[in-house]
Amino acid sequence: MIQLKNIFKWVTVGGSRVFLLKDINLTIKEGEFISIMGPSGSGKSTLLNVIGMLDDFNEGEYNFIDQPVHQLKEKQKSQLYKSHIGFVFQAYHLIDELTVYENIETPLLYQNVKASERQAIVADMLDRFNIVGKKDLFPSQLSGGQQQLVGVARALVAKPKLILADEPTGNLNSKQGEEIMELFKQLNKEDGVTIVQVTHSEKNAAYGSRIIHLLDGRVEKN
Amino acid sequence: MIKNYFIITFRNILRNKTFNFLNISGLAVGIASAALIFLWVEDELNYNHYFPNRNNLYVIKDKQTYDGNTFVFDATPGPLAQAVKDETPGIQTTARSTWANPMLFSLEDKSIYENGRHVDSGFLTMFSVPFIKGNAAAAFMQLHSVVISEKMALKFFTSTDNIIGKTLKVDNKEDYIISGVFKDLPENVSIKFDWLISFKVFEEQNLWLKEWGSNSIITYARTDPNANIPAINKRLYDIVQRKNSQSTVAKMMLYPFNRIRLYNNFDNDGNEKEGVIKNVRLFSLIAWIILIIACINFMNLATARSEKRAKEVGIRKVMGAVKQKLIVQFIAESVLLSFLAMLLAIGIMFLILPAFNTLVHKNLSLQVFQPIHLGGLIVIALVCGILAGSYPAFYLSSFNPALVLKSTKLKTGSAAFIRKALVVTQFSASVVLIICTIIIYQQIQYGKEKDLGFKKDNLIITSLHGNMRSHFSSIKNDLINTGVVENASISNSDVLNMGSNTGDFSWEGKAPDKQILITVEGISSEYILTQGMQLKQGRSFYENLKADSNNIIINETLAKIINNKNILGSVINREKDKYTVVGVVKDFVSNNVYQPAAPLMLFADTSNANVLSVRLKANAPITSALAKVEKVIKTNNPGYPFEYEFADEEFGRFFQAETLIGKLAGVFAALAIIISCLGLFGLASFTAERRTKEIGIRKVLGASVSGITGLLSKDFLKPVLLSVVIAFPVSWWMMFNWLKDYQYKITIQWWVFALAGLLVLLIALVTVSFQSVRAAIANPVKSLRTE
Repeated sequence: MIQLKNIFKWVTVGGSRVFLLKDINLTIKEGEFISIMGPSGSGKSTLLNVIGMLDDFNEGEYNFIDQPVHQLKEKQKSQLYKSHIGFVFQAYHLIDELTVYENIETPLLYQNVKASERQAIVADMLDRFNIVGKKDLFPSQLSGGQQQLVGVARALVAKPKLILADEPTGNLNSKQGEEIMELFKQLNKEDGVTIVQVTHSEKNAAYGSRIIHLLDGRVEKN
Repeated sequence: MIKNYFIITFRNILRNKTFNFLNISGLAVGIASAALIFLWVEDELNYNHYFPNRNNLYVIKDKQTYDGNTFVFDATPGPLAQAVKDETPGIQTTARSTWANPMLFSLEDKSIYENGRHVDSGFLTMFSVPFIKGNAAAAFMQLHSVVISEKMALKFFTSTDNIIGKTLKVDNKEDYIISGVFKDLPENVSIKFDWLISFKVFEEQNLWLKEWGSNSIITYARTDPNANIPAINKRLYDIVQRKNSQSTVAKMMLYPFNRIRLYNNFDNDGNEKEGVIKNVRLFSLIAWIILIIACINFMNLATARSEKRAKEVGIRKVMGAVKQKLIVQFIAESVLLSFLAMLLAIGIMFLILPAFNTLVHKNLSLQVFQPIHLGGLIVIALVCGILAGSYPAFYLSSFNPALVLKSTKLKTGSAAFIRKALVVTQFSASVVLIICTIIIYQQIQYGKEKDLGFKKDNLIITSLHGNMRSHFSSIKNDLINTGVVENASISNSDVLNMGSNTGDFSWEGKAPDKQILITVEGISSEYILTQGMQLKQGRSFYENLKADSNNIIINETLAKIINNKNILGSVINREKDKYTVVGVVKDFVSNNVYQPAAPLMLFADTSNANVLSVRLKANAPITSALAKVEKVIKTNNPGYPFEYEFADEEFGRFFQAETLIGKLAGVFAALAIIISCLGLFGLASFTAERRTKEIGIRKVLGASVSGITGLLSKDFLKPVLLSVVIAFPVSWWMMFNWLKDYQYKITIQWWVFALAGLLVLLIALVTVSFQSVRAAIANPVKSLRTE
C-alpha cells in the first residue's frame, strides 16, 4: 500500500543541511497496524506528515496505492489523501466553532457528499461511537477523551483505507488512552483499516503489529 | 457548504464580540459615510433631470472682452429671442425670462412675498411646466394672468380646486387672474419659481427692452435634436453684429442647459471651466478613500487574527479542503460581515441623514428599496466584502497544515509588512484630510476677516416697495427719530451684490480701443456714511441730488486706472454726457471677496433705487431696534410685510461653498481618524496578545512596565510617523491647487503640518498605549505557564 524508497528530507540552516529524514525505506501493507517510536526530534512526526502528504520530501520515491506521490501535483495529492487517509492528532484539532456533529461532517463536505447521505453517515458514526447525546455540544464542552473520540470519528467518517495518528493518546490519561487504543485495534481487526501511529509509549506501541524505531531521521530498527 | 460558512461566521462573530464589534462598526461607519456622500453626489448629478427637454435646451450666454479679460453673462438684449427664432435654422423656439424676483401677492388681508419670473409663453412648454389646473396654451391668453405653484396656491386657498379665474393683487396694484396651477418643482433644479407672469407685462413696464444695447434678461432656446451648435453660434454672432448699431463687444453663444449646474464657470479667456463638478469629484474621491480606510481595517484585523484561525485552516486542509474552497470560505465570510455592516450602516444613515441635510443644505432621503439605492448599497457591500476579504483569504489559505498544526510559530514577516503598509495608507489619508480641513478653514477665515471697505455689522438691507422711493427722506427722518438708527440710504442694489456694469466710458488719456468694464451704481447722498465707507479724497454727494447729477464718485481702483494726478475734477464721458469726479472712495467688496475690487462709479441718482440700507446704532438692542424700524416702514408703506436681511448674514452666504467643503472635510477627517484608530486599536490588542510570551520573558528578566509599553507602542508609532511624512507633500500639493482659484488667499504655513502630524501621533499613541500598558502590567507567570 505504501512504499517509501530512499526518502531524504532536509532543511538548510546557515548554509549546511540538517537532515530530518535520512534514507528511509519502508513498505507498509494493507491491514497493518504500525507504531513508530523514537526520541523527540527523531523525525517521527515528519515521517508521518510525509506519509500523509502534508509535507514534502527532498529526495526519493513514494508510492501510495500504486500512485507515484513524488510526481503528483498539489491538487492531485490532496485529492488522493482526502479520499484515502484519515488523520488523528495529539491535540485533537477539532474546529472550536463547530459542534460535534458538524466537526464529523466536515470531511464529507469537502468530498461533495450529498446532504441526505451525509446525515446518514454522520448519524451512523455518532451511533457507533456512542456519542449521539453529545452531537450538539462544542469541543470545549467535552473531556479530552471525548474530544479524541470525536477526532477518531471524524478521521473515519470518509471511510479511509489508512489512518495516521500522531501521538493520539499524548494528551489523555491512561484510561482514556487505553480506550482509544482498543478502538484502533478493533478498527484494524474488524474493518481492516491500515493504521500508522506515532507514540512515545511502549505500551501503546505494543498494540501495533510492527514497531519502527527512528533515531536522528533514520530507521534504526524495523 | 454555504450553510457551513454561515454557521462558522456567526459563531465566530459571537465568539469574538469585541473584535467583530470593532470590525463591523468600523466598516458600517465607513459605508454609511460613503453612502451619504454618494446620495449627495446623486442629487448633484441628477440636477435638472426634471426637465424632459433638457438635452436640447440652451441658455444664450453673452461673452464680452474688456482689456484682455473676458466676462460671460446670462444677460441678453430684449429683441434677441425673436431675432434668433426667426433667423436661425436649427432653433425650434426661444423664450425670454427675467431673473427670479420676489413680488408681493395679496388676497384680502393676506400678503405674501413669492419668488417668480416673467416669461414668454414658450417657456411653459420648453421647461414642461407641470400644470395640474389650466394648461400652457391658455395660461397667458389674458395679459394680466398668473400661473402659480401648488404650494403657493395652498397658502392663499384651502385647495387648488376652483381657483382658476380667481384673482390675486400683485404689488398692491393690479389684480391678476389665476390661469393655471402647476405641481411644485423638485429642489434639485436650477430654475426655481412659484409664479409665472407673461413677459409682455414686464416688457410694457421697461421700454428699454426694445433696444439691442441693453443686456438685461435671460434668453432660453430649444434646438432641434441634431442641431449644429457651432453653426448656430456663428449665426448668433452675425445677428448681433448686424442688429446692434454700435460696435459691440458682445458675442452670443448657446450654452447647454445640462451643464448649468455642474460647470457654468468661465476663466478670464471666456473658456468654460469646472464648477460644482469639482466638488462632486472631490467628494466621490473622499467617499472611496473612507471606504478603503474602512476595508483596510477589516483586512488588518482579519490577518492579525490569522494565528487564531490558522488551526482551523490546517484542519480543513487535512480534511481535504483545497485552497480555492478556503478562499471562497473566507471571502464569503467577509462578504457576510460586510452585509451585516451594511445593515448597521443603513440604521446609522437614517439617524444622521437629518444632520447631514442641514450640513449640505439639501433635502436628501434614502429610499432603501429604490432599485438604484438598493443596488448601490449592495454593490458597496460586495465591493467592501471582496476587497476586505481578499487579502486575508489568500493569506490564510496559504498556510501549510503540517506547520500550523504543529503549532510552531508562523512566519508572519510578509503579513506584518503588508499590515504596516496598510496602516500607513490609512493614516496618510487621515492626515491629508486633517491638513486640508485646517487650511480650508484658514482660507474661509481669511476671506471673512478681509477689510471689506464698509462696515457689515448692524446694517439692515431691505427692498423698496410701493412709494418708499419717493418718500425716502421722510422715512429716513422717521427712522432717525426712533433713536436706534444712525443713518439710512437708498441705492440701486445692495452693496454686496452690485451687478450693473458697462464699458461705455472714456476719459482723457484712455486709449480708444481699450474697453474697461466699470461697475455703476446709483445712490442717495447718505450712502457712503450709512455703509460705513471711507472717502479718500473729495466729498460725498449733496443732499439735493440734482445738484450732483453731473458729478460722480469713483473708487480707488478706477482712480488708479484713470491715473490723473488731480483726479478730483477730472471729466469722464459717456457718449454726449460729461461727468466730473468729486470724490474717491476707498475700495470696497462689491461682489466677490476673493477678487480685487472692480473699477466702480457711484452716481447721484435714485430713480432706479431698489434697496434701502439702515445702519443701526452699535449699542442698540437688536430685537427692539428691529421692531422700531419695522414700525416706521409699515406706517410709511402699509400693505407690505417687512422683510430684511443683515449685511453680515448675506456676507456669510458668500462662503457657503467653501464652508460646505470645509465642514465636510472636517467631518470626514474625524471619521477617517476614528476608523483608522479603531483598526489600530484592534491591531495593538492582537499584537499584545501574540507577544504575551515575549513580554512575560522580558518581565521575568527585569524589564519595567514603562519599558515594555514603549517597546510595544514604538512598533505602531513608526508606521504612523511614516504616514505623516507621506501625507505632507500630498496635502500640500492638493491645497496648493485648491487655493490657485483664489486671488486673495492665505499662504500655506508649516505649523499646520506640524499640528496635524502631532495631533495624529498623539491620537495614535493614546490608542495604542491603552493596549500596551495592559499587556505590560499583566502577570508574567500566567503568560509563561500557558505556553
